[in-house]
Amino acid sequence: MNTFYSAVWTETLKVRRSKVPLLTAIGFMLAPLAAGLFMIIMKDPERAREMGLLSTKAQLMMSTAEWSTFFGMLTQAIAIGGFMLFSIVTIWVFGREFADRTAKDLMAIPTSREEIVTAKFLVVAGWVMLVTILIFGVGLLIGALVDIPGWTNALAWHSFLDVIGTAALNLLLMTPAAFFATAGRGYLPPFGWTVLAIFFAQIIAATGWGDWFPWSVPALFSGMVGPRSEQLGIHSYVLVVIACALGLIATFYWWRSTDQTR
Amino acid sequence: MEFAIETNHLSKIFGTVRAVQDVNLHVKKGEIYSFLGLNGAGKTTTIRALLGMIRPSEGHVKVLGQALGPGGRGPWAQVGYMVESPSAYPELSVRENLEVARRLQRIQNTNAVDDVMERLSISTYANRKAGTLSSGNFQRLGLARALMHKPALLILDEPANALDPAGIVEIREMIIRLAREEGMTIFMSSHNLTEVDKLADRIGIIHKGKLVEELDADRLDAIRARQLIVDIHDLVKACAVLENFQVVQLGEHRLAIKNKQAIESPETIATLLVNAGTPPYRLAVEQEDLENYFLHLTAN
Repeated sequence: MNTFYSAVWTETLKVRRSKVPLLTAIGFMLAPLAAGLFMIIMKDPERAREMGLLSTKAQLMMSTAEWSTFFGMLTQAIAIGGFMLFSIVTIWVFGREFADRTAKDLMAIPTSREEIVTAKFLVVAGWVMLVTILIFGVGLLIGALVDIPGWTNALAWHSFLDVIGTAALNLLLMTPAAFFATAGRGYLPPFGWTVLAIFFAQIIAATGWGDWFPWSVPALFSGMVGPRSEQLGIHSYVLVVIACALGLIATFYWWRSTDQTR
Repeated sequence: MEFAIETNHLSKIFGTVRAVQDVNLHVKKGEIYSFLGLNGAGKTTTIRALLGMIRPSEGHVKVLGQALGPGGRGPWAQVGYMVESPSAYPELSVRENLEVARRLQRIQNTNAVDDVMERLSISTYANRKAGTLSSGNFQRLGLARALMHKPALLILDEPANALDPAGIVEIREMIIRLAREEGMTIFMSSHNLTEVDKLADRIGIIHKGKLVEELDADRLDAIRARQLIVDIHDLVKACAVLENFQVVQLGEHRLAIKNKQAIESPETIATLLVNAGTPPYRLAVEQEDLENYFLHLTAN
């Protein structure tokens, strides 16, 4: 029996049996629903006011109701909300071994610790991509139901790539969360890290230096503050990869070499 | 002789705390070795070092002939263990928890899960989520995981914790059977001295991080038998005076004499010691038990 396959099987079973990934996925469904609601409002603000969806005093600052706007909202939801929700799952996958005190059962077995950590990252990556595709699919369905104008196949394809690219950037930035979940032996330290990362990503992006801060890159990539070609350079992607590599190295080193006292 | 467990000058320092100091353990294959100590004595730290979970600050550890290093596969395919409290994934069923262990342990036999559940009497709970088990059955699940791959060496930290009296007897009998019939080496820590007394071939007593005493079968017999206890200042002189009696040294100032004549007429021994200029300050016929011995040894 291949031990790496066994490790992946094990991690997948844990994810399947737990409510955490499922609840976060369901929670994420709010993103296309909210975007769909905005489309309804933007299509006919007066009718939205009559239906109580919009306060009579409210001024809409968004652009027109069309597929490009809708896809833009989805991508931005993946950039910001995705970071938080992907972090929750990453933190759960790594931190639960300490919260449930099962880490010690993974330390002296024929399946190496490296295989276990790799399997955990693989399952997180699979879950993130699956949920992202699901969100996009639900978005398409909602967009069709709302009957948003301006559909083209090319736009849908490019938007899909944008969504996947944003999710992939966020995924790369999950490795430090995994490290803090293992080194912090639980949930609180990585959550603290996630909140700080989001906070600084916003602040630094607002100062115009977001292209130099890896955690600002997914939001800039999503087009939140303008065309990405104006916001990001090669160095931005390199920094994301470096942050990912540092998180990976630290996590693997910790599992391999640090004293396991819990 | 190749030992199942061998530590040479094992020490572990956490910051300024010396959790384990210069421990030399030699556990023979096929024996039941009990590791006794008060809370915080260093038992679990030693066990974690034996399992490669912590790196020794000094010294070396060999398990089943293999030196331990960080990471890697080590001798773990032949080692079963349960450290501190048992643990399991609460949202997985008993069967799924064991299936996870079976796969990670690289056990080819797909019946291993059913076999071990049968052996530990938890088949009834096979489809029950581990998080809903009673503490006793949770303990059995931990033991099942440790035993499933029929290891050559079983390392257990307080295996009888949380079990009811019937469960304790059951686990004791199982441990004896595993050692005697299957030749498994068992290294177990325990607070339950009565249990240890009934189980162990040898006992190591750890106190403040140091292995202060190792009791082999003869020493254990000496402790369990009726004996004349002599507390005396000059132990060396007393041993010389009493060389014709069966004298066992029990501590820095304590002797035990197993000789039947001495037990029946302790005044003879008192006279001999007084005449030699080293009078005992206490003389008593006792049937020592392990508990008394342990408390005496670890008393400040």
